[in-house]
Amino acid sequence: MIWPFTRTHPPTLDAARSARRDALRKQAVDLKRPLADLRWVVVDVETGGLDAARDPLLAIGAVAIEQGRIVFAPSLEIGLRQAHSTAPSNILIHGISGTEQRAGQAPHAALLDWLEFAQGSPRVAFHAAFDQAVLQREVRAQLGLSLQAPWFDAAVIASLFFPEAARRCRQLDDWLAHFGIAVYARHGALADAYATAELWLVLLAAARRENIATAHQLQKLARARRWLPAH
Amino acid sequence: MSASQPLANSLHRATLDALRRQAPFSAMTEGEVMWLVQHLSVTYFAREAVLLEPSADPPDALFIIKQGTVSGATAEGLTVLQLAAGEMFPLGALLAGRGAANRYIAATDTFCYTLAAADFQALLAMSPEFNDFCTRRIASLLEESQRAVQAEYALALDDDSRFARPLASLIRRAPLCVRPDTPLADALAAMDAARVGSVVVTDAAGAPAGILTLKDVLARVTLAGVPLDMPIEAVMTPHPATLSADLPVADALVLMARQGIHHLPLVSGGKLVGVISEKDIFALRRLSVEGITSALGRTDDPARLPSLTRDIGDLAHSLLAQGMDAENLTAIISSLNDRVTERIIALESETDPALAGLRWCWLALGSEGRMEQTLATDQDNALIFHAADASQHAALLAFAQRVNARLDACGFPLCRGGIMAGNPQWCLSAADWQRQFSEWIDHGSPESLLHASIFFDFRPLTGDAALALDLRAWLNRATQKNPRFLHQMAGNALRNRPPLGVVRDFVLSEDAAHPHTLDLKLNGTTPFVDAARIFALAAGSPQTSTAKRLREAAHTLHIPDAELADWNRAFHFLQLLRLRHQHAQQRTGQTPDNHLDPDTLNPLDRRILKEALRQARKVQARLAMDYKL
Repeated sequence: MIWPFTRTHPPTLDAARSARRDALRKQAVDLKRPLADLRWVVVDVETGGLDAARDPLLAIGAVAIEQGRIVFAPSLEIGLRQAHSTAPSNILIHGISGTEQRAGQAPHAALLDWLEFAQGSPRVAFHAAFDQAVLQREVRAQLGLSLQAPWFDAAVIASLFFPEAARRCRQLDDWLAHFGIAVYARHGALADAYATAELWLVLLAAARRENIATAHQLQKLARARRWLPAH
Repeated sequence: MSASQPLANSLHRATLDALRRQAPFSAMTEGEVMWLVQHLSVTYFAREAVLLEPSADPPDALFIIKQGTVSGATAEGLTVLQLAAGEMFPLGALLAGRGAANRYIAATDTFCYTLAAADFQALLAMSPEFNDFCTRRIASLLEESQRAVQAEYALALDDDSRFARPLASLIRRAPLCVRPDTPLADALAAMDAARVGSVVVTDAAGAPAGILTLKDVLARVTLAGVPLDMPIEAVMTPHPATLSADLPVADALVLMARQGIHHLPLVSGGKLVGVISEKDIFALRRLSVEGITSALGRTDDPARLPSLTRDIGDLAHSLLAQGMDAENLTAIISSLNDRVTERIIALESETDPALAGLRWCWLALGSEGRMEQTLATDQDNALIFHAADASQHAALLAFAQRVNARLDACGFPLCRGGIMAGNPQWCLSAADWQRQFSEWIDHGSPESLLHASIFFDFRPLTGDAALALDLRAWLNRATQKNPRFLHQMAGNALRNRPPLGVVRDFVLSEDAAHPHTLDLKLNGTTPFVDAARIFALAAGSPQTSTAKRLREAAHTLHIPDAELADWNRAFHFLQLLRLRHQHAQQRTGQTPDNHLDPDTLNPLDRRILKEALRQARKVQARLAMDYKL
């Protein structure tokens, strides 16, 4: 469920974009459909730092999983146009140069693309709280929307099904190595989203083995897991 | 979400790059592979999950293994094949529009790309390379392995450590170089004047900034219609691979093979000092067919011959390194071995007065008769003469025994089965040979059939060739008059099945002497050789070489050209594997044999070996059909 959020003053959208934004208001995610039929959107964001409340959003990468398969096209890779480029130290991490940062798409256009891509689907990310917070913040600021889409954290679900491995695995790379998943050049938003999607396929197979039939059941399990002590 | 072709993003790029490292995608255009990538999806299968069930309906997708191993099993649960990363299935079912015959199961945790059946058909129609690969897999795979084999063999050629010397030693002249703003016309004129295949573009500091080869000129200048007043930097390959001139030659070979380049700029302190080409490297060989042939002709001392036969082995290795195909290579080995045998026969017969005035002919049998000798080869020969009294017969026999002994000293061991001209049983008059052959044809016992398979590949080597040619003409008439004999030969040949997988992808020997191996000769090349012999006898052909026999038979039996080409490629790939295997053994002081452990092959060669054995089955299937077996 999504409703307007009015505290800030987002940029004025043209008529076409307003219509697209309004279309995004009416959507629902049905978590009680069978797991195998559900469309998932796996996402990763790159930011100018590690502060979800303040650091700028630089790029969004996302792929969809449909009928249990990662679909290569369409997939989403957007750089967001920045007013100022971030500190050089972070460029080293993300490899997104100042020139690229200033190129990119206008933030409101990028976020419309993202929301349309993700429409009606639960979101998956590794350490999802961060991606969720940054995207919600920007969607609110740029489009004046606040949305309550369900998010799943691959890190949480992985430790749920593989508690032994979770003692050693912290980062995405640890889990990829644990499952022997060979991935392409990493550390772009799309490459990381894709790697997370391969991990998610493994986790979905594990969920089937545990007789978990719906995303709703998976969500309940993940919530229960929060009350258990972390390793 | 747009309905039209989406723009390529970094995931598409990375997938394209990964796919293009392997056949058939390496040969397809970038546009075709990108189209494929944008129609792919990725699925995960945990170990033991079923990817595809045997079914009456055509499969709805093509699988390309991204990571992991998939095994295929028959409906009865018998595992018949094992597929690794890069392999595609079920090609046959998709091409024929029939249901998959096998059940495909993940042998390990596996990720597969899938392509919807309709998209597979679209790609077949779009890409001739993809189409060719799917319909004629073995051909594409062989081309793919060629460069790898060249590099591997060249590296192994270490007899005078020529590949360990520095690259600088190969530089013959000052490099041809131009500045980035040089007009193409000037650069091309300079290449023509210097008669070189490439020009290096250097910056102000003399460091290579780009390269342009004659091959690039065709695609990027001539076909692209680029005007010749354009500066060369517009069409050059920027940031060319370079190596430091003090590195060993071997490094250049590896780099060239890996990157698929033929010219390599050499640098010293960052500055261009020379350019070497693949030709410069392969020109290092010192042995040649002409050299060995003329040395053989000059030799009057039989004691010198053994060292010359060793040169034949070295030459074979050097030719392997240059990527010579097995058909030519085995023919060269056979003809040089012929020269050795001829020289020995000349030395032994000219000095023997008892042979004066006699009509005789030395017959090469078996693999030498077929001109298909590899490095592990014992003697298979016989003698035919016109007529001789008892003392003349004894003289011929003594002469043949001397030749056999000389050949043995030259590294052609005496035949364990005694199939040699010096054996009184196989030193016969023309009339006795006809009697002997008739007996085998009429008798049809296992022993007769075995003898027929060796002796019926006879070829005149030296002496009075008419004796052998008459015998061949007589034999063709005799076998054609006796269809039962060919039927028995075919039945016998089909008893030897290619060792394609029951448990794993290959059936391996449990023989204690050669554990975990397959016999490349018995199980690999013999099915082709046997079938070709039967086809030739049935058609009355005088040919003895397997490839030539198959070519002639294809015409008579209406076998499609593409199928024939695959048979010959498969046969020669197996011959090539034998040669490589035997040479590796010789280099480590072992006696060459045909027992290969397939685990020692690289993944590409394993795939080709599997495909070659599948072709052997096809040849046998054709034989079975012709003889209703």
